[in-house]
Amino acid sequence: MRIVLATPLYPPEIAEPGPYIKELAKRLVKLHKVTIVAYARLPEKVPGVHIVAVDKRQPLLRRLISFFFALLHAAREADIIYAMNGASVELPVALLSLFMSRPLIIRIGDTAAHERARSGWLRSIERSAFARAHRVITDGPAPRPEILPFEAFPAEKLGAYERSWEEHLRMLEDLFTHARS
Amino acid sequence: MHAHNTQQEWEDYRQRELRAAIPILEKLGFELESEQPHTGGERFLMAGARDVGGGGYKLVLLGTRRADGKRVVIKISSDKEGIREICTERKARETLQTLKFAYQMLRAPEEVLYATHGAHIIFITAYVEQEQAFLSRPIAEQFSLALQAFKAQESVHATAYSHARAIRTVFGIWGVQEYLDSFDAFCAAAAGNDSQDRALAQSLAKARAFIVEHRDTIEQYCGFLTHADFVPHNLRVHEGNVYLLDSASLHFGNKYEGWARFLNFMLLYNRPLERTLLQYVHDNRTPEEELSLRLIRIYKLGKLLEYHTGALSKTAGNLNTLSKKRVEFWREVLESLIDDRPLSQEVITRYQRERDSLRSVEEKKRQEALH
Repeated sequence: MRIVLATPLYPPEIAEPGPYIKELAKRLVKLHKVTIVAYARLPEKVPGVHIVAVDKRQPLLRRLISFFFALLHAAREADIIYAMNGASVELPVALLSLFMSRPLIIRIGDTAAHERARSGWLRSIERSAFARAHRVITDGPAPRPEILPFEAFPAEKLGAYERSWEEHLRMLEDLFTHARS
Repeated sequence: MHAHNTQQEWEDYRQRELRAAIPILEKLGFELESEQPHTGGERFLMAGARDVGGGGYKLVLLGTRRADGKRVVIKISSDKEGIREICTERKARETLQTLKFAYQMLRAPEEVLYATHGAHIIFITAYVEQEQAFLSRPIAEQFSLALQAFKAQESVHATAYSHARAIRTVFGIWGVQEYLDSFDAFCAAAAGNDSQDRALAQSLAKARAFIVEHRDTIEQYCGFLTHADFVPHNLRVHEGNVYLLDSASLHFGNKYEGWARFLNFMLLYNRPLERTLLQYVHDNRTPEEELSLRLIRIYKLGKLLEYHTGALSKTAGNLNTLSKKRVEFWREVLESLIDDRPLSQEVITRYQRERDSLRSVEEKKRQEALH
């Protein structure tokens, strides 16, 4: 499958959904062709994954337009678009659906952005994107436990983390397959 | 002669400023403590020695508020650069409270007074009492406190156009070019300070080439809030919370600049903590981040070498001998970082022994008060 991941945040940005998208790409690329379209400047690389970075330091309108065209280009060959919530991604994906029909799944990974979209124009943008999505999900894997020097190695927590990713990937694979059919 | 001038200049400034400060502070309701550890020892070498936040002559004094006996830290200056540094610190503190893109709040001591009085600027903050000095805490606690402070800084990442607009005028925003320009300035100054030291010139050239080779890795982790002088004497711990002092040293730069300064310091003062923090980065961060930390440690050593070579012409006697030893030692540290090999403990222990035998009594006292 050819998957496009669209995200407002990406490492070195430490806030979610940045680390989630990087980890997801690392895992998906073992079986699929993955492209990330992200607001970033010098994104952390993932072997085998094509990353299209849209510089956040541009003025708002210019970066929205850049992101839209980057997404449009990436989506041409995509089987599925998996987008993270946030107005800066929701607006381009909603616009994109006017030009091409690609299955869209949206994940609410940035709860603060979702909270901000309770009223006003942010709400309209979010609603418009959600209305065009095949599914809107909130599921996610467990956060990666830290390995801390003065504590026991978190073997159990790391095991649970791995299992949560396996489960999450299974759910996504089903969702992507279902969305395409 | 020059050595005498620099120290004498500071002494004259200190006496003059104190004479003027005491009546001003009295009028404002503050009195000075009898012991003033932050004005003695090697303090005279430090004016203008900062790489971030300006730097000029200023006095850092300990005092109390007469009305309630509250202990305070007083920064006072009538020197142009000193005034600028104090203003920068105040603005930085104010702006930090308003940053919408900060995920965590950074703690700073409560502001007690900010005023101008004739040619003087006075900035008074509460003295944060700590139950124990940072370095005398158990290593696990030092680790967790340092990590807490690093994470709080890292949570402030200015990436968007609007973020940059909000902070550019208050904090500097450094990318790789600023680090390179600054490193070049260190190299030029070090060469000017001690043109005979070929080994140092070679090490600095090697360091520069290494930084240039990996310039993208430095740039990649820029845009984060970082304290350029993050060392134990710039933090206080009260009830498990870390308070950052010297907000003039806060700027937006490489995420690992605070880490780098701290690790270079700990290499000498608490090596197990240095190794532990390095292990943490190795276990929990990406390889690019690990490299970024190493690069910025190298950059910070450039600053340190500039500082110690600068002291060669300003000092005499034991302090001059100590400055030479310091240059030799930090050059060895620089080489070990470029080659990515741990420095032998023997080199550290030998240097510590020499340093302790050459330090003045007054400086030893100042160091005790600092850490």
